[in-house]
Amino acid sequence: MAATGVTGSSPAAGSPEGAPLAVELRGITKRFPGVVANRDIELRVRRGEVHAIVGENGAGKSTLMKTLYGMHRPDEGSILLDGREVHFRSPADAIAAGIGMVHQHFMLADNFTVLENIVLGSEPTKGGRLDLAEGRRRIRDISARYALDLDPDELVENLGVGDRQRVEIAKVLYRGATTLILDEPTAVLVPQEVDELFGNLAELKREGLTVIFISHKLDEVRKVADSITVIRRGTTVGEADPKTTTARQLAEMMVGSELPSPETRTSTVRDVVVLELRGVTVATPGGRPAVDDVDLTIREGEVLGIAGVEGNGQAELVDAIMGLRPLTAGTVLFGDQDISSWSTRDRREAGFGFIPEDRHRQGMLLEGTLWENRILGHQTRPPASKGWFIDRKASRSDTARIMKDYDVRAPGPDTLAVALSGGNQQKLIVGREMESGPRLLVAAHPTRGVDVGAQAAIWELLKDARAEGMAILLISADLDELIGLSDTLRVMLRGRLVATLDPGTCTPEQLGGHMTGAHGTAGAA
Amino acid sequence: MSVVRRLGPALLAPVLAVVVALVISSAVMAALAVNPFDVFGVMLDFGETPGQQITAMVVIVNRAIPLFLSGLAVAVAFRMGLFNIGVEGQYRLATIVAAAAGAAVTLPGPLHIGFIVLVAVVVAALWAGIVAVLKVTRGVSEVISSIMMNFIALGIASYLLTGPFRGSPEGASIIATADIPESGQMPGLNGIFDLFGLANPPRQLYGFLLIAIVVGVLIAVLLNRTRFGFDLKASGMSPSAASASGVNARAMVIKTMLLSGAVAGLIGLPDLLGNTHSYTTDFTAGLGFLGIAVALLGRNKPFGIALAALLFAFLDRSLVPLQIADYPSSVVTIVQGTIVLAVVVANEIARRVARRSAAGGTAAPSGGPTAGDGSTGAVPTPPPPGSTDQRQGAQL
Ligand SMILES: Nc1ncnc2c1ncn2[C@@H]1O[C@H](COP(=O)(O)OP(=O)(O)OP(=O)(O)O)[C@@H](O)[C@H]1O
Ligand SMILES: [Mg+2]
Repeated sequence: MAATGVTGSSPAAGSPEGAPLAVELRGITKRFPGVVANRDIELRVRRGEVHAIVGENGAGKSTLMKTLYGMHRPDEGSILLDGREVHFRSPADAIAAGIGMVHQHFMLADNFTVLENIVLGSEPTKGGRLDLAEGRRRIRDISARYALDLDPDELVENLGVGDRQRVEIAKVLYRGATTLILDEPTAVLVPQEVDELFGNLAELKREGLTVIFISHKLDEVRKVADSITVIRRGTTVGEADPKTTTARQLAEMMVGSELPSPETRTSTVRDVVVLELRGVTVATPGGRPAVDDVDLTIREGEVLGIAGVEGNGQAELVDAIMGLRPLTAGTVLFGDQDISSWSTRDRREAGFGFIPEDRHRQGMLLEGTLWENRILGHQTRPPASKGWFIDRKASRSDTARIMKDYDVRAPGPDTLAVALSGGNQQKLIVGREMESGPRLLVAAHPTRGVDVGAQAAIWELLKDARAEGMAILLISADLDELIGLSDTLRVMLRGRLVATLDPGTCTPEQLGGHMTGAHGTAGAA
Repeated sequence: MSVVRRLGPALLAPVLAVVVALVISSAVMAALAVNPFDVFGVMLDFGETPGQQITAMVVIVNRAIPLFLSGLAVAVAFRMGLFNIGVEGQYRLATIVAAAAGAAVTLPGPLHIGFIVLVAVVVAALWAGIVAVLKVTRGVSEVISSIMMNFIALGIASYLLTGPFRGSPEGASIIATADIPESGQMPGLNGIFDLFGLANPPRQLYGFLLIAIVVGVLIAVLLNRTRFGFDLKASGMSPSAASASGVNARAMVIKTMLLSGAVAGLIGLPDLLGNTHSYTTDFTAGLGFLGIAVALLGRNKPFGIALAALLFAFLDRSLVPLQIADYPSSVVTIVQGTIVLAVVVANEIARRVARRSAAGGTAAPSGGPTAGDGSTGAVPTPPPPGSTDQRQGAQL
């Protein structure tokens, strides 16, 4: 590590003032059958700081945090909190010690309300009876104090990813955590939301709380972290000072490669219209429609980017296009066919590819094997099936091929999906959708949770597919990705497409302004 | 991958369950001042002569056939996280209608049997279909509605038996439907004993055994090798991911319940076609509920269900010898009951073990009850179709 601003992980990097560290992990090793997820990891986190952990997909970040959170026990090494060694047997022990964790993948019960989700497991009681009023009051309190903006009685089912994120954070705060672990909290948040979140974090920090967070967005990490630990292939490669280390140097420490850029080359937009929406409206039970009178057209070789703060109808729009939600009004045309009444399967078979925003909810069978996940969504076509039968042999070998081509790091096609790191799951999904050669790809956050190297590879794939005539609907919270890849940019606000921007000229700041409605609702540029 | 590694986790749960059940029931027997080893001795004693031993085995297999079919019916629905508690009502209603229909017509041999089977299958499937329709149109939990439908089915069955379908003379001690004529009776398989030069027992081995085996193989192929089976399994693992992959959640519920019901329709037929030839007030009851336990123990896999059915049949057979030896026959019920409890616990343990060693990729926990039995913690009931993922907390 020759980069400037990088110190080795020698004990000297610990705590200069001699005050005990809030969290110290010493020589942690964690093995899974066939994989060493963590090898001799060192981590030192001072009280009241924001400490970032970075590293490529499968480096072992989530595994390390799960160890700290008591979800599994390390094979070797020790955990020290405030200088004292602890042994957690379960997350309950960790919570009791003041540690809270927001997972990379949400763990909320959809058919419960925000309130029920938050109190679940530590229900407030009065005289032995569940005291929801007290719970509601405390949640309102936490919500106001950290500007989380939560409605305790909303069903989680109806919330977008950004809101779910805040519910998870509230859940942790509700349990009185003094050390917060956030595993990729910003993966699907747009910049404004990220700023809000970081505002909240600063607030937490001022109150003496310690925050450990994992992210693949290196600029963001440099902006908010007080110190950074870099992990590569399961072991610590060093600490870095965010003030003196550049994103490029960080990336080099992580993967040894350069930072990619999403820039597309020349336009490849052709004349043939692939998808057209006319006046598409999707109602929500009570209240204004989630998608309100949306018109849009995507042509062959075109990437249509939709920008918007999470929860402004993007998820419902995607569901409507995929046939997962009924339209209340409007038509969906594929080529010149009206497909408004087609089932999801009809659409899939006609050539719709789908990368969902929440891969665990809509994209994967966690209990299933990788080959089963490979054919999910493509089970009616070769290589997945022959006539009415599933072709296991062809599915397995095709899965092995995709794993190789898309760098999915796992033992083999019979591995369970749940054993993969988040980024590797994403790569498998991207691989299976691209390999089916769709005419239209609906891609929601296609690079969510993948490291900088994989991100560059996915961008290349999308560009190549576009050059070959694939139509792509791109939804992303990463504004650089949106601006860089899109041929046309539309902004979605409160269910409507409110502006059309030229990605060639608009800046992330302008785009951000439109997304929050600061630019008025008139079409610009 | 070695066979042991493949089968190890799959066998772990049921073996553990049986062992735990044996230990607990031994303790109960000891508390009742009964020597458990004597009791187990009686249970394992199949008689002195080869003839008696073969008879005992025929009794066990004959009992295992309907239990196997019942377990299969339950498992088909379990695989997609549906709880078909209504198997009991489905087969009872199907059997009485099939018995009456079979007695009312005369057809050449195989056709007559085929007709009876068809009637039973259709009646049970339609009855189960009502539960499915209620679920997809009104969101009624299939657990509740299928239990309710059981009461209705039993009520209808006894009305039919005492009313329109009554075939026994006025004042007979047992009320029965009219006998199915000879052409609709299924011959036994005792020929095979002669073939192997074994003693031919007085009891007939049900010919329905062959049909049950064929059905078992068909269901196994359907669940594991076909697109339909994949869709079903995917729906059980994650309804939301299945929908996004193009599975029509509502249609899937209906198809699965129809299939589960169709298999349930067969449960009463081994006895009806091979032995009683009429539906009576004391026709074998309770098979539908036992099927739930059998499916659990067999981990929803046809082969496992066959073994579980044999185990339960073995336990059932020992009822009579135990009574003869003056032991409480409730011992058997206790063993069966503890097996069911132990299975639920053991399945959960096995699931966690499998998950821990998931990287090997061979320790796939089966779908079915583990996929929707509330073991995910936060969500106590299986979610309605098309609802969102029940897998949160999966990593806990
Ligand atoms: N339950 C498990 N069983 C087996 N292997 C596992 C399990 N959980 C994680 N692994 C393996 O451990 C390694 C580290 O995974 P981990 O989830 O910690 O990565 P990560 O750094 O969080 O990556 P990402 O950025 O993609 O989320 C991976 O190779 C993964 O396949
Ligand atoms: Mg991770």
